[in-house]
Amino acid sequence: MTAATLERPAPPAQSDASDASAPNPRRNFSEELLKVEDISLSFGGVKALTNISFDIRKHEIRAIIGPNGAGKSSMLNVINGFYHPQVGSITYKGQTRSQMRPHEAAKTGIARTFQNIALFKGMSTLDNIMTGRLLKMRKNFLWQALYWGPALKEELEHREKVEEIIDFLEIQAIRKTPVGRLPYGLQKRVELGRALAMEPDLLLLDEPMAGMNVEEKEDMCRFILDVNDEFGTTIALIEHDMGVVMDISDRVVVLDYGRLLADGTPDEVRANQLVIDAYLGVSHD
Amino acid sequence: MNASAIRNIGGWAIGVPLVIALLGFAFQGLASFNSSFFFAWPYFIEVLIAGLLQGVMYSLVALGFVLIFKASGIFNFAQGSMVLFAALTMVGFIEMGLHWTIAFAITAVVMALVAVGIERLVLRPLVNQPHIILFMSTIGIFYFLDGFGQTLWGSDIKVLDIGIPKTPMFVGKGMFEGGLLINSFDLVAAFVGAALVIALAVFFHYTRIGRALRAVADDHQAAMSIGIPLKTIWVVVWTAAGVVALVAGIMWGSKAGVQFSLALIALKALPVLILGGFTSIPGAIVGGLIIGSSEQLAEVFLGPLFGGAIQDWFAYMLALVFLLFRPQGLFGEKIIERI
Amino acid sequence: MLYREAGQFKTSYAKDQAIFPIRQDRILMAILIAIAVLGVPALASEYFLETIFVPFLIFALAAIGLNILTGYCGQLSLGTGGFMACGAFFAYKLATAFPELHLVIIFLLSGLGTALVGAAFGLPSLRIKGFYLAVATLAAQFFLVWMFNKFDWWTNYSASGVISAPPREVVPGFFLTGNDASAVTKYLFLVCFVALMALIAKNLVRGRFGRSWMAIRDMDIAAEIIGIRPLWAKLSAFAVSSFYIGVAGALWAFVYTGSVEALAFQIDRSFQVLFMVIIGGLGSILGSFLGAAFIVLLPILLNNGMLAIDPTISTALVSHIEFMIFGALIVLFLIVEPHGLARLWQIGKEKLRLWPFPH
Repeated sequence: MTAATLERPAPPAQSDASDASAPNPRRNFSEELLKVEDISLSFGGVKALTNISFDIRKHEIRAIIGPNGAGKSSMLNVINGFYHPQVGSITYKGQTRSQMRPHEAAKTGIARTFQNIALFKGMSTLDNIMTGRLLKMRKNFLWQALYWGPALKEELEHREKVEEIIDFLEIQAIRKTPVGRLPYGLQKRVELGRALAMEPDLLLLDEPMAGMNVEEKEDMCRFILDVNDEFGTTIALIEHDMGVVMDISDRVVVLDYGRLLADGTPDEVRANQLVIDAYLGVSHD
Repeated sequence: MNASAIRNIGGWAIGVPLVIALLGFAFQGLASFNSSFFFAWPYFIEVLIAGLLQGVMYSLVALGFVLIFKASGIFNFAQGSMVLFAALTMVGFIEMGLHWTIAFAITAVVMALVAVGIERLVLRPLVNQPHIILFMSTIGIFYFLDGFGQTLWGSDIKVLDIGIPKTPMFVGKGMFEGGLLINSFDLVAAFVGAALVIALAVFFHYTRIGRALRAVADDHQAAMSIGIPLKTIWVVVWTAAGVVALVAGIMWGSKAGVQFSLALIALKALPVLILGGFTSIPGAIVGGLIIGSSEQLAEVFLGPLFGGAIQDWFAYMLALVFLLFRPQGLFGEKIIERI
Repeated sequence: MLYREAGQFKTSYAKDQAIFPIRQDRILMAILIAIAVLGVPALASEYFLETIFVPFLIFALAAIGLNILTGYCGQLSLGTGGFMACGAFFAYKLATAFPELHLVIIFLLSGLGTALVGAAFGLPSLRIKGFYLAVATLAAQFFLVWMFNKFDWWTNYSASGVISAPPREVVPGFFLTGNDASAVTKYLFLVCFVALMALIAKNLVRGRFGRSWMAIRDMDIAAEIIGIRPLWAKLSAFAVSSFYIGVAGALWAFVYTGSVEALAFQIDRSFQVLFMVIIGGLGSILGSFLGAAFIVLLPILLNNGMLAIDPTISTALVSHIEFMIFGALIVLFLIVEPHGLARLWQIGKEKLRLWPFPH
């Protein structure tokens, strides 16, 4: 990464569409990648989500915002199959189903990071990111046991891919460090690396910048924009930092108390009276 | 008492006799197909009661597990060896010529010392470690106490007699021809078990330290941060578990003699816990009754099918099958996984 | 100054992924192999080979098996004894039913059989975790031992319930089982066999399988979300682990004791192997060897030590004191170094890298 990109005060998103010389894939999203319709989810008597419908289009950065407990993480959990909604349907890549299974979601190209880091603490950075490649490894048990021939070749091919990701995220120095020993910011980055290693079509990020300082946030924003630009990955992210959300996302969904409050471009959402009320708190008299 | 609790109790009141009756009919049917089986209702009831009383003994051991699990989230594998150790110590003191009540008191003090030792030497250095590490450390304690008890007191089978009558008696002569044969010792054991449960329930629900215990069970660090003295709590709980182990040891020891196999019989408390749930005192009792009775019934009525001695594993298999359908046990709290 | 990786540059990922990326480690390993194959049989007496080296190697194999399940995949098992019994009795039935089968094939087949049994008892692990699973594996332990003890089909209707390994050659002229088997043959066979099995285990744990096992161990939910199917990861760990344990059980019955009964595989055996894994180091193949060596040697040393202090001491007392020391050591290890001897070894190496400069 060059010094110029590092110095960007806040990552511009809307602006660089115009000055890009090559046609930027991010700008023309019309094709639907994922659509959720009428999703309702409850735990016992507690309603986490009620009648949520929205879509995510190919190549866009979609933000999901809302106050604490609005059901944002539950929404991501529904998308990648960890929670099963009682009502509603999910259409992903043209296929409609009422729920996902986590490993199916992974197989069809949905990767994600977690609000509370969910890395494999006993393994090194390298191994953690390698786990992201597991789905793509095919060689059978006997070759694995010999660690030779096709299995070794496969292992090395994936290692090369993982090294590219390590370079991209600038974490070469911590390659062999057990992730449990890494500071928080780096752990978040490794987790992003693991998700990237899956070469996802849809990347779900749950508060990728929570608990970071300004500098780390800028780094993370840059990585997200680069992933979106360079790999063309569609991104859905939850974030509390409104500045970041308004800057990098193409469209925003607002949830409150498990209901859909607003859906539109950052500017539309910013102007929406319901959203302002929800965030600032208004007495309804 | 709220409506759901009443519904629950109603469910049990109808369900339990129903299950027992169905089992009886099943065995009766089995016996009518295959003449090598013997079946008669009075005999069935007798076996059932013997099993239930055996179950009370399991419950006594399981109670100690529940206490510690509730208060520290530790699955105390050493409970069985605590039972053996307590019984050995008590017999040792009785053999020195002390009256059993005095021996009981001294042994209770010894168990308190054991609790202090465990807290100092094992739990304190391991605070906030993953549960699995703590579990394995209790396997260490298991071995240590086994060896220690037998080093101190020897490994011969010892007789523990504190004067509980062991006369067989017949009850319910009006209902069945000849009545039902019950051992009075088992009845005493059942009463002791009931008394212990009531005492513990009161302790947990109505005392300040009981509430603190429940807070500690939820989260060590959170409990410490609001000023609950973790060390004291642990010593109290392990002492309580030690005394429970002592009572269980006396009961088992009077029944079957004090010997090494006591520590292994205590393993039977594990399936009891699976059924009852790790955190529930009533669960330990109900689980014990279910395990005790079903094991006895299976041995007597199904055992001949498999060549006998299926007691060795029946309880574990039952627990295993049960786990597949209800992993949190009958009374345990359902775990909702979050991420 | 001797142990440095400075100046050793890896020019390919293949070299970086090697088991011993540092040259000194490779040299050390070569020396170790040379000692194991040439030195030990030449120097050690028959007695030492039979009572120390043979059980050590067999236990190391069992410990590798349990380590795969508990150390790498995080599933606690107390059924090791039962699975060893499986291996032993399967091997006996195979060896007596098919006298022309080669011993190695018998061992591997009985391992495969045990793998199936292990996978079946691993099924509950999909719904239950931790202590609950430990109880479920107890069911395997008690059920299997009961089965082998109860049905005399397994012992070919022998009255005593004891199975004796039929005499067989491993290579023409060298008996591995039976009365004609020499300690050196047994030892050399075991060294080669166990080393090979350990290498395979190492390959598995550093490849695709190992990573999915460790992912399940460290955070099963996250593992599922990156596409690892818990069903396959856990069952494969159970199967591979039981395979190793089953082979170890077969070797135990055939090569070490020669004749054995089901009660030799009681729950104590399960604990014994579990202790090896804890003391050696959870999640380490090297640790399995260290732990096995420790647990095999400790009772012998304690025994001799106590007899040296007091020749009149009773064997019962010795075994009780042994229990105590075992228990205390387990707790000590968990407190001081939960990662076991293998971790101590690593720390030692890191110190050596810096030596003689402290920083």
